[in-house]
Amino acid sequence: MTEEIKNSNWKLRKGKIIAAKQMTAAEKWFDIQLEDGELDHEPGQFVQVELYGIGEAPISICSSPTKRGSFELTVRAAGRLTDAMHKLDVGDYVGIRGPFGKPFPVKVMVGNDLLFVAGGLGLAPLRSLINYVMDNRKDFGKVDILLGCRTPKDMIFGSEVAKWQERLDVGFHCTVDRTDPDWKGNVGLITTLIPGVTIQPERTFAVVVGPPIMYKFVIAELLKKNIPERHIVLSLERHMKCGMGKCGHCQIDHPKNYYCCKDGPTFTYDEVKEAKKL
Amino acid sequence: MNYHILKKDELDGFIKKLSKKMKVVAPVAKGTGNFAFQEVKAASEIALQYIPTILPPKKYFMPQREKMLDFDVSGAKPVDKAVVEAEEIAVFGVHTCDLAGIQCLNMVFSERPRDYNYLRRKDKIFLIGLECNDYCDENASCALVSSHIPSGGYDLFFTDLGDRFIIHVNTQKAEELVEGMGLARASHADTAALEKVREHKRSAFKNEVGVDPRKLPEIFAKGVKSKVWEDVGRRCVSCGNCTNVCPSCYCFDMADTINLDMKTGSRNRTWDSCQVETFAAVAGGENFREERSDRQRHRFYRKFKYSVDKFYRFFCTGCGRCTRTCMADISLKETLTSLVKENV
Amino acid sequence: MTNVPITATKPKVAFFDFACCEGCQLQVANLGEALLDILGAIDVVEFREVMSEKWDKDYDVVIIEGSITDHHAEERIKKIRARSKVLIAYGACACIGGVNGMKNSFELDEIRQYVYGKDFKLFDSVKTRPIHQVVKVDYFVNGCPIYPPELVEVIKCALRGLPYTVPDNPVCVECKLNENVCMYDKGVSCLGPWTKGGCNSWCTSNGNICYGCRGEVKNPAKNAAAEVIGKYKLNADLIKNKFDMYNKCKEGDINGGK
Repeated sequence: MTEEIKNSNWKLRKGKIIAAKQMTAAEKWFDIQLEDGELDHEPGQFVQVELYGIGEAPISICSSPTKRGSFELTVRAAGRLTDAMHKLDVGDYVGIRGPFGKPFPVKVMVGNDLLFVAGGLGLAPLRSLINYVMDNRKDFGKVDILLGCRTPKDMIFGSEVAKWQERLDVGFHCTVDRTDPDWKGNVGLITTLIPGVTIQPERTFAVVVGPPIMYKFVIAELLKKNIPERHIVLSLERHMKCGMGKCGHCQIDHPKNYYCCKDGPTFTYDEVKEAKKL
Repeated sequence: MNYHILKKDELDGFIKKLSKKMKVVAPVAKGTGNFAFQEVKAASEIALQYIPTILPPKKYFMPQREKMLDFDVSGAKPVDKAVVEAEEIAVFGVHTCDLAGIQCLNMVFSERPRDYNYLRRKDKIFLIGLECNDYCDENASCALVSSHIPSGGYDLFFTDLGDRFIIHVNTQKAEELVEGMGLARASHADTAALEKVREHKRSAFKNEVGVDPRKLPEIFAKGVKSKVWEDVGRRCVSCGNCTNVCPSCYCFDMADTINLDMKTGSRNRTWDSCQVETFAAVAGGENFREERSDRQRHRFYRKFKYSVDKFYRFFCTGCGRCTRTCMADISLKETLTSLVKENV
Repeated sequence: MTNVPITATKPKVAFFDFACCEGCQLQVANLGEALLDILGAIDVVEFREVMSEKWDKDYDVVIIEGSITDHHAEERIKKIRARSKVLIAYGACACIGGVNGMKNSFELDEIRQYVYGKDFKLFDSVKTRPIHQVVKVDYFVNGCPIYPPELVEVIKCALRGLPYTVPDNPVCVECKLNENVCMYDKGVSCLGPWTKGGCNSWCTSNGNICYGCRGEVKNPAKNAAAEVIGKYKLNADLIKNKFDMYNKCKEGDINGGK
């Protein structure tokens, strides 16, 4: 009595890996082309990546929708599936569902100043927005990028980051938690960069993506700068298993009953400040 | 209103005729006061007086384990096919609490993006309700959530009138079935007898927690930090029994299996429980509901607060299963009573 | 698809046993149809229960049944480990010490004397340890005996170089999905609430209680035990004794034996 379901939301699109690169010891970058057209995503969304016979994992899209023809993922080896993903290379296929999730509120941010704060792998989802802003630079006011990672070796998108640094229309600051002999930049937590940035709070949107531990401290610094809570945008991490607001795994302990996969992963701070954990 | 009559001694004929058309499942006694929905061929196998079954009939709509996708990776490019395994089933003897549970699931899985595996199976299920004329046991709280009186969600609905059942016919499909079986139409005396049953129920079933249910969401909003959750969490086994037996719990896990040829396999859905330790953990190691108290609170909020915000109804159907199945004696009624006492 | 590596030569697999009843190895024969598929995918080079051949080169996969109960066994398992790419601990004795662990409830010399009599010093004996307390283990197939479908899953993972995660949910989860009448409702105490699942509630689905043969879940509900014992008016010592039947070696993990 097995029937085929043509319109199933579990059907997978076939994605071919057209480029891949080991970025750091733990992170690998992939460029993926769908055989049936564009992914058609917006900055801040994610896809479910299926390795047939192993399973599926939610991965943030790290490329801007302004890049057409393919999309990019940066994957940290942190479990059974992502470890297996690191073994994939050019020519391999993966199954793709999505894009899923609420994107960054790009339209609301148009015309305002932007402060990007990325911690570690948080740069991956944020890059989808940063590159979008770079490609539409005239639509936005002042742009500052603050970047933090554990050590210089953990830096992802190094050459691209170097280009942002050179741009005259972008303020750029970077710091590492622990230094090495070749590092000439700042040493210290990312929060130490925030006081140095000049901000007009009422016209600034701060977009913050990083590990859960980072949010509390960064948000405290931003609030000190008088940035309104609804201007602080976060991307939260949960285990989004289905992407459709049903399986329950990503539900946030918050009076509003958010499903991170559908109501997020991007939220403004005022939307989620009552959550038990960010 | 369309009512028919089936004499009790004709029930066997009814079941037999029905089972010629499709698989018939009904509550069956499993011993030590436990019941389960199972395939039956005759009325004698059915437990007409039963307390809620171990698992609710949701297992026919969303099986404990089900295949969602077949795949084959032997070629250069993987091939896959979304599948559903669905069969024509008549579920006989569903209490109103479980009908309410199915109504909850219908809402969840009809919401976009839709779950066609569930919906396809739902299309193939013929639901026959059975009224509880009295409480099943002291664990039920169906009057609190008003699920003790039928409010749709079935094809046929049986009410015991002593020597006969009066049957409410609710769908065209059901009408054709009872007409085909030549069941007599109910008389005035029959509908009057049904009204007497309902009148008795209005006095026999009383709000079990003694709180206006309309106030519950507000009480829950206030009770996030209540010590009730600490108490419940301290006792919780994290065995997942309460959610697995719940007629409105639908959380699931997805996993792949590959066959020994290492080329073909499937993606499968299994019931999951927000009560088990790893449910809200992410790959990096962070667990967003590490404490048992957080997990138990989450379960209650999904029944009495979140569902009201999202679907405008309680997702507790008052069946009492979670209380009956809890080895550590965590009682839904007692938990609500304590929470209410603390937060009114 | 290259993420499913099909090795050109079949992996060399060997079975070894230590202190055990060899019952888990017998389960291999009970695999039925899957056995033929497995034998098609691997090359069994040593398996004392069914063949006399020996293999003098390295092993791709070794499947170890039994626990380590004397110095000789300790040396032998270390040598086997050195020659193996992948080591699978197989069955309760290998994974958690199993019934052999009951020895650890007594003073070593006392129990040696009880078993071997006055010449007990002539018989080598140490506290029972599961394999992972002696050498690194790559995969665990729990159970007494092992649950054959889980063995198949583990073999598939091993052949594909993927980790296998032993479920950390209590047996109750699977027992409930199988819609069994709870053993506690039947008036008998069952270790399901504290024991790792993955066996598809094999025992309780067949009318037996759970004896805890797969080992305790990582974070067992200690407080809840008191509630359960209270609700069903059980004897707490009885439950503890039942646990010790399979789980005595857990103390070796708690004390840093891992």
